[in-house]
Amino acid sequence: MKKQMIAWVGAASVVMLTGCAQSMAQPPAHGAMATPMATSSGTKAAELRAGLNNLFSEHVYLAGAATNAALGGREAEFKAAAAALDANSVAISKAIGSVYGEGAEKAFLPLWRRHIGFVVDYTVGVAGNDKAKQDKAVNDLVAYTQDFGAFLSSANPNLPKSVVADLVKHHVVTLKTVIDAQASKDPARAYTALRAAAGHMQMIADPLAEAIVKQFPDKFAG
Amino acid sequence: MHARGIVGVGSALAIAVAALTASAEPTPTVDIQLFQFKPGAVEVKAGTAITWTNGDDIEHTVTSGDPEHRTYRFDQHLSGRGSTTTIKLNEPGVYPYFCDRHPSMRGEVRVNPSEP
Repeated sequence: MKKQMIAWVGAASVVMLTGCAQSMAQPPAHGAMATPMATSSGTKAAELRAGLNNLFSEHVYLAGAATNAALGGREAEFKAAAAALDANSVAISKAIGSVYGEGAEKAFLPLWRRHIGFVVDYTVGVAGNDKAKQDKAVNDLVAYTQDFGAFLSSANPNLPKSVVADLVKHHVVTLKTVIDAQASKDPARAYTALRAAAGHMQMIADPLAEAIVKQFPDKFAG
Repeated sequence: MHARGIVGVGSALAIAVAALTASAEPTPTVDIQLFQFKPGAVEVKAGTAITWTNGDDIEHTVTSGDPEHRTYRFDQHLSGRGSTTTIKLNEPGVYPYFCDRHPSMRGEVRVNPSEP
């Protein structure tokens, strides 16, 4: 039973990594997110900050939903959550593309999906009680933080690579805490950790928005 | 078997990886920026040196083939921002390449026969 569950999580992770065809065919506009948090003072800068915060917090909630369904052995729910998570990834890449162009968007999406793949690896490792797989996934995620930091640093000189890498590392750690709590069947701890992990994303979204506004003050006035 | 050996030796001779310091013609360049090879495709005459410059603060590679089908013709590592590598391809053909560290990064060099 557990082996079967691990198998379909692995198979579904391919969907997450290669991109859900449905979500690619109908990418949601990042301004049309369902998250009811979007508030802004009406300036372009505020809209950017609110939009990025929505996308990044949504990323965490959907990732948590996917890992929780996977660990609970709920295949259909996991697949739906994984598809929604990938739609969120596409939306984030479009947000990046709206600032840095289509080439950056295309380069960002596989880079972003890569860390989701590592999170899936970690979840599979937890589900299968495979410590080596868990350790490899954590190491891959830590290495990934350098890639992500380099990407944003290359895009925007106001974002030092090491600072971004540390922030993303914290994202990885907070999400790992969620998965560990889910695996230990402790919903109270899992949901507390999930809120903390989602809340942490503001630490990434706000500096990113601020750096973009600083880089393009005419485009994002306010 | 004999023909295969000749092809192998020919391929090895056709590819020269060198740090060229002087050239009569300007060296085509490929910038690596934001995890992209720019331009993604270059077209040169056989024997022309091409230089890649890494603009990202992370290691990238210029590795021949694609992640599923490596061709082992070249595999150059660019350690970080500002690092460069130069490759000269003497044999006409199409050479796809990618970054081994970031497999979604792809590029292509088209080598045309040099004029007699």
